[in-house]
Amino acid sequence: MLCNEAIVRGALEADVKVVAFYPGAPTSEVLDTFSDALDSFDYHMEIATNEKVALEVCAGASFAGFRSLTAMKSVGANVASDTLYVLGYTGVRGGLVVVIADDPHAHSSQSEQDGRFFAPSAYIPMLEPSSPQEAKDMVKQAFKISESHRVPVIIRTVTRVNHQSGVVQLEDMTRKEFKIAKWTELNEEFTTLGEVARRKKLKMLERTERLSEEFDSSEFNSMNGVDSEVGVITSSISYLYTLEALKILGLQAKAKVLKLGTTYPLPRKLMSDFVRGLKKVIVIEELSPYLEKEVYAVAKETNPSVSVFGKKSKTFSEAFEYNPDIVAKGIASALNMNYPDYGVILEEAKKLKSIIPDRYPTFCAGCPHRATFVALNQALRTEAAKGKKHYFANDIGCYSMWIFPPISRSDSSLCMGASVGVANGLSRTIEERVVAVVGDSTFYHASIPAIINAVHNDNKFTLIVLDNSVTAMTGQQSNPSTEFTAGWKQGKKVPIENVCKAIGIEFVEIIDSYEVKNNVEVFRRALEFDGLSVVISRRECALYGDRNKRRRGEPITPFHIDKNICRKAYSCLNTFYCPAYDLDEDRQPRISEEMCDGCSVCAKLCPYFSIKRVEAKA
Amino acid sequence: MSFSMFMSGVGGQGLVLITRVIGNACVRSGKKAITGEMHGLSQRSGTVFAHMRIGEDVFSPLVPYGKADILVGLEATETLRYIEYLKKGGTILMNSRIMHPPVETSRVLKGKGTKYITVEEIVSKLQQWTRNIAVIDALNLARDSGNVNTENTVFLGALSTLEAFPVEEKPLRESISEAVPRKTVEQNLMAFDLGKKTAFDSLCNLVPCRRRVDR
Repeated sequence: MLCNEAIVRGALEADVKVVAFYPGAPTSEVLDTFSDALDSFDYHMEIATNEKVALEVCAGASFAGFRSLTAMKSVGANVASDTLYVLGYTGVRGGLVVVIADDPHAHSSQSEQDGRFFAPSAYIPMLEPSSPQEAKDMVKQAFKISESHRVPVIIRTVTRVNHQSGVVQLEDMTRKEFKIAKWTELNEEFTTLGEVARRKKLKMLERTERLSEEFDSSEFNSMNGVDSEVGVITSSISYLYTLEALKILGLQAKAKVLKLGTTYPLPRKLMSDFVRGLKKVIVIEELSPYLEKEVYAVAKETNPSVSVFGKKSKTFSEAFEYNPDIVAKGIASALNMNYPDYGVILEEAKKLKSIIPDRYPTFCAGCPHRATFVALNQALRTEAAKGKKHYFANDIGCYSMWIFPPISRSDSSLCMGASVGVANGLSRTIEERVVAVVGDSTFYHASIPAIINAVHNDNKFTLIVLDNSVTAMTGQQSNPSTEFTAGWKQGKKVPIENVCKAIGIEFVEIIDSYEVKNNVEVFRRALEFDGLSVVISRRECALYGDRNKRRRGEPITPFHIDKNICRKAYSCLNTFYCPAYDLDEDRQPRISEEMCDGCSVCAKLCPYFSIKRVEAKA
Repeated sequence: MSFSMFMSGVGGQGLVLITRVIGNACVRSGKKAITGEMHGLSQRSGTVFAHMRIGEDVFSPLVPYGKADILVGLEATETLRYIEYLKKGGTILMNSRIMHPPVETSRVLKGKGTKYITVEEIVSKLQQWTRNIAVIDALNLARDSGNVNTENTVFLGALSTLEAFPVEEKPLRESISEAVPRKTVEQNLMAFDLGKKTAFDSLCNLVPCRRRVDR
């Protein structure tokens, strides 16, 4: 079972009643699994417009006494944090669990943010699983902790935990009927401000003390039985790397290991007892020295002479994710052991690999974004020829891939919706025309306040909304641009053009992404418009479209190139960069029929009309 | 005893699915398996990989460098890209298919003397790491099964012949039948058999295999 599925299983075993999410790697499969299971259980599920709204949906349900769960990626927690911090003060009623998944190595994120710091700064307890089994157990327990202390509980994971599969022992799912509550009978208040906030702050501190004591004996913190003067303190995925590294080094029976599962508040007494009597303590955790600082504090009180190995000693780096080799090397260096440097293997491999081309993520065959960008680039070139240059503000979504070679074209790319925000400032400070781009999901998620700001302050730039009907990058989840909601149930569509027109934008045009030739002209007018111009480029995500076609039993008919007509003008290749294309031995462009999505865009670009749909086989 | 395998390919080739099939087959046969996968951004025609570890004394979902018993490459360039995970002298099972990324095509188009990388070039590099390399034409075998999307299942069939591969054919076939769309079960099982057959004819000349039982 994938860890993200184990999280769902744990929540279902705990009788969760309300779940809400905004998708984001590496947590998207939590959403997808709940969505797939929706017909079989009686929980309420929403795919929310953003992480803050998702958390608030859950908080509302929790106030009414319902168990609720949300999961979000690291940077999603930034969006939700306004609400998260306040919930530490107001408290909750029904168990509220917040899964925050960090992404060390920035595999699919804009930063390597360490989300553990939300817990101490919001005074919200945090549990960190290492494996799918533990994730399931912790989610279950988190609901109990949440209810007994009236506080949300964070389950903090990292990509390598979320995307790890393993065997999980299942327990019963005893589920009660979903019965609407009566607020007037609950007699609660969830407020915080001024005097109330000050009172609640003191209670929050007391709660944290109680939790710290409780966590000293938590089942999620464990020690191996080894008696040694060398100890390792670790948590999360680093715990599994530690076990592997100790095996590699032959130290399994020679080092004490304290594995921490409750990482806020930290079990200080347990840590003190562990550090006492040690000569060396090695702290193994990815990213910031979060545990390490506490280890120094504990050591100062109980064992000042102990040597601490971690980030400060330069044994481990604060950058990037770890693996068994990095951990083994660190342990070996702390213990002055000889360990064959894995750098040699990597160097040798690197030499062999020098012949292979890079493979950057790119737009899928049939992706409407590629077609939109072809038209946009053409319009931008025409404008540039007239001396009108531009600034390109990229955003977060599949279109982010515009920054990768061979396309490589973005002046900025920050976080969800920020392209529109910075366009406001840039439009007032540079002479070039600013072009900002967002997807449909990003439009609803975090762009609307910045767009209203532009209208209100008369900021002049061009906004392109790439509307492909779904939140494509995270696996084609529905959003307000889709006629479906969670579990693919009927939902109400919120057309982007209606929003734009309602807030008073005068230039709003809708184009079909695949109609490249017509779109160039629309983009040109939008760029020249003296004001805020919005172009909505609409065409469903190719993967989503293909999935629907397969469901309906419709064929996907690829294109091929008629060699007799092709004059090798390479118009299809030069601007389009479709992964279904390559060249044969005669440098003749060729389409792989397995990969071609039949979108027809390249056919329209060929000046000799040599690209034709493959005839259906009889 | 523990077994480690590293699998790679290009987004869309169904790597996640076969990882799941092997994992489920392990559960069926009472074996402990853990995997480290990559989902998300990497799916879009980019490079994808999965770490697979089977046995009682494996802890990390990631295979340590130079410790994989088998390297499985659903695409030729993506096989070489992860060579550091394979133990020296380990087994490579790879596809003869190369999916040229747009960045390479763009380079070949611009530079007159620039040529695409070939399977022969890749194999010659891999041979400096191990001699046990089996190259199979999975795409053609998939076509023969009647469903061109079964390349991944061809590889499962080939893997099932290996003595070192700790999962038996029966649980693998059961897991495939359960994991793939109902309409394609037969094609997938056919692809499995074609993979098995081709492995007996190639891979099994290099490394110890199970006894050949043709269906």
